[in-house]
Amino acid sequence: MASLGGSSSSSTEYIVRVPKNTSKKYSIMAFNSGDKVNCSSWTQARMERDMSNRRMYGVEETEEGAAGSEFGKKQREEARRKKFGIVTREFKVEDQPWILKVNGKAGKRFKGTKKGGITENASYYIFTQCPDGAFEAFPVNGWYNFVPQAKHRTLTAEEAEEEWGRRNKVVNHFSIMLQRRLREQERGPDDDDEEGEKGGKKKKKKGGRGGDLRIHDLEDDLELSSDESDSSGGEDGDSKPKKKEGDVKGKVKKKKKKKRGSDSEANEDSDDGDFEGLEVDYMSDESSSEEEVGEEKAKSNKEAVPKGIDEASESEEESEEEKQNEEEGKEEEEEEEGKKTPVQTKKKRDSSGESDTSEDSDIDGEAASALFMVKRTPPKRGGGRGSGGSSRTGSRPGTPSIDSASTSNTLRAAASKLEQGKRQVVGGSSESPAAKRLKMESSSTAVTTQSPAPSGKSTPQPPSGKSTPSSSDVQLTEEAVRRYLIRKPMTTKDLLKKFQTKRTGLSSEQTVNVLAQILKRLNPERKNVNDKMHFYLTE
Amino acid sequence: NLIKGSAAMSEKTEVDLTGVKQNTGVWLVKVPKYLAQQWAKASGKGEIGKLKIVKKQGKADVSFTLNEDLTSLSALGEKAASVRAPRDHPFTMHSVGGQTLAVFTETSADKISLEGMVVQRAECRPAVNENYMKLKKLQIEVSTKPQRLTEQMDRAVTNNFKPVSNHVANVEYEKKKRAEGRMVRADRQQVMDMLFSAFEKHQYYNIKDLVEVTKQPVTYLKEILREIGVYNTKGTHKSTWELKPEYRHYQGGEEEIKGD
Repeated sequence: MASLGGSSSSSTEYIVRVPKNTSKKYSIMAFNSGDKVNCSSWTQARMERDMSNRRMYGVEETEEGAAGSEFGKKQREEARRKKFGIVTREFKVEDQPWILKVNGKAGKRFKGTKKGGITENASYYIFTQCPDGAFEAFPVNGWYNFVPQAKHRTLTAEEAEEEWGRRNKVVNHFSIMLQRRLREQERGPDDDDEEGEKGGKKKKKKGGRGGDLRIHDLEDDLELSSDESDSSGGEDGDSKPKKKEGDVKGKVKKKKKKKRGSDSEANEDSDDGDFEGLEVDYMSDESSSEEEVGEEKAKSNKEAVPKGIDEASESEEESEEEKQNEEEGKEEEEEEEGKKTPVQTKKKRDSSGESDTSEDSDIDGEAASALFMVKRTPPKRGGGRGSGGSSRTGSRPGTPSIDSASTSNTLRAAASKLEQGKRQVVGGSSESPAAKRLKMESSSTAVTTQSPAPSGKSTPQPPSGKSTPSSSDVQLTEEAVRRYLIRKPMTTKDLLKKFQTKRTGLSSEQTVNVLAQILKRLNPERKNVNDKMHFYLTE
Repeated sequence: NLIKGSAAMSEKTEVDLTGVKQNTGVWLVKVPKYLAQQWAKASGKGEIGKLKIVKKQGKADVSFTLNEDLTSLSALGEKAASVRAPRDHPFTMHSVGGQTLAVFTETSADKISLEGMVVQRAECRPAVNENYMKLKKLQIEVSTKPQRLTEQMDRAVTNNFKPVSNHVANVEYEKKKRAEGRMVRADRQQVMDMLFSAFEKHQYYNIKDLVEVTKQPVTYLKEILREIGVYNTKGTHKSTWELKPEYRHYQGGEEEIKGD
């Protein structure tokens, strides 16, 4: 080493060596500065290759002994792959990522992926200074970028997309992960306590939890995102609610009380009276809906109600014919009340046996929505639920129709069922919450066989309340057909859909015959729309 | 049992952290390819050159000078004789910046140790002079040469596609067949035993494979098979033979002796 002294500058020379016999291979471990990794603070570290990408072809496919295997299968498969030119990349151990675990099991975890192409055009060398002052240069064999691995649970891509769609609705984001956890648990052995507590703590939990809950249309609505998920998520949403419901079942009871209290308090404070002047299609009582959700869940505890509903939702979306789970569906609908978007309402109506074809008129939609409006439940609930079942009038006076009538009938039936089952119904028509309560008066508008009983709750509905085929909510009468045709032009198919056989109690042949007769009598005018023959009447 | 690699987490290597604990600092230097090639040719103790650091009023100038004996270039072929590798290489220093870089080593015995942290990054550049330019020109010439070359030939190749009365492979095949001779029918029971043991190994067999295994004439074999086996025409195992259900004893891979 030569040292040259000089004014205000000093220069030193060092010998550089490249050791020849080194058996050590040098690699770079790169961390992002933002991760604030300080290697000197590590007490212990373990590192190994991540072999999860190793695919033993052939072996992976079917490793069987005697049963099911063919003679010479492996060779044949290999020959086949060669013929098609399928080249499977060789698994090179040196190219596999590293897994680095720092400070034991509870410490940080990193994954180091090899960066390609560093030795292509230039070489990297590590210069270290030796005790004798000389530098030693070692070539770098590989460069690995290490990223910390999250230990907390994350959403999968599909879940993330769903939640993204809901981001404007959901206020309580903690519930998202909670929901997910609930979903993943098996039905039955739920940890009630744990979840109940959590439910209680988080105000809005309920809303978030109900995957199949319907959302308010109102933007300010909290956590009632189920609607979105249902409508937007389609099938995805369906499966979720299913699970959610099941999961929540167990906890419902416990949570009910807690939630109820907290929810209703919170909701009432913030929401009551806020939307009085608003003109919206669907109004609902947040607290009521939430409570109802809870209640409903409790009820659904009973039997396959949630399943029924889920099926209902699914079929509605897909087939638009929802028969078997009418009642259950209705129950759910009632409980969830109010937060139905038009789509939802359609769904609901489906379960009540009405068609939810998109062709349905707006009036139909309105009627349905009106039907399903939920009242904000007052602090003392009980009643609220039942009233859900009972007919409610929408704020739209003009929404009478057979549809609403029949729906309400079935609603009432469902409600009564529920009432009998669990809840203590508090007083009849009470749902008298303060400001916005939208009652649906089914009977006033509809012409049905049932008597309108606004307070449908506690009183167990007479058999007529049940939507048995015989006491059909939808009678195939001339009056009914006339009403339809006045409202809007319909094809025969549409009409048939309106009078579904299960509802009218007639066989399909009978329905067709009766309908034909009615049409003959009415002699409606014809119009061709979209190449289809539509009938219509003018008043 | 599906082998999917990640199972064996047992052999996790403990990383030796002495280097970072001592706060060992190293430099990461980017070196041009030709220079790295020259360094690889170092002999003896491995000395390749000298590093000169001049500290001038707080700033440091670092440069590397290649040893004379390493300046002969052989990598680029004959033309390289006229050109020599440049000797002076100033270093451009960079800060480590947005990345925290550590250096770890692996020995052939799979021991991993953390050598230290990168405290300085540098780029080794050749001093730009005429010699270097010539070198670069040479490199470019070499690299732009196409790998495949099309030449025109004077005479066509006449070693292939000559007509032949009987191909070599064919002749050998026939000889082999004649040597083996026709397959002799063995004792019925023996053949059955052979079949049973074969079916113990695999469930489905092609008739051709069975012929090969048992060395029996096809008709005879089929006769026996019709007795103890069944022919699959549909399904995934198309046109294969398998034993009749009453003879089968498959249990998830376990082999059992099938009885008559």
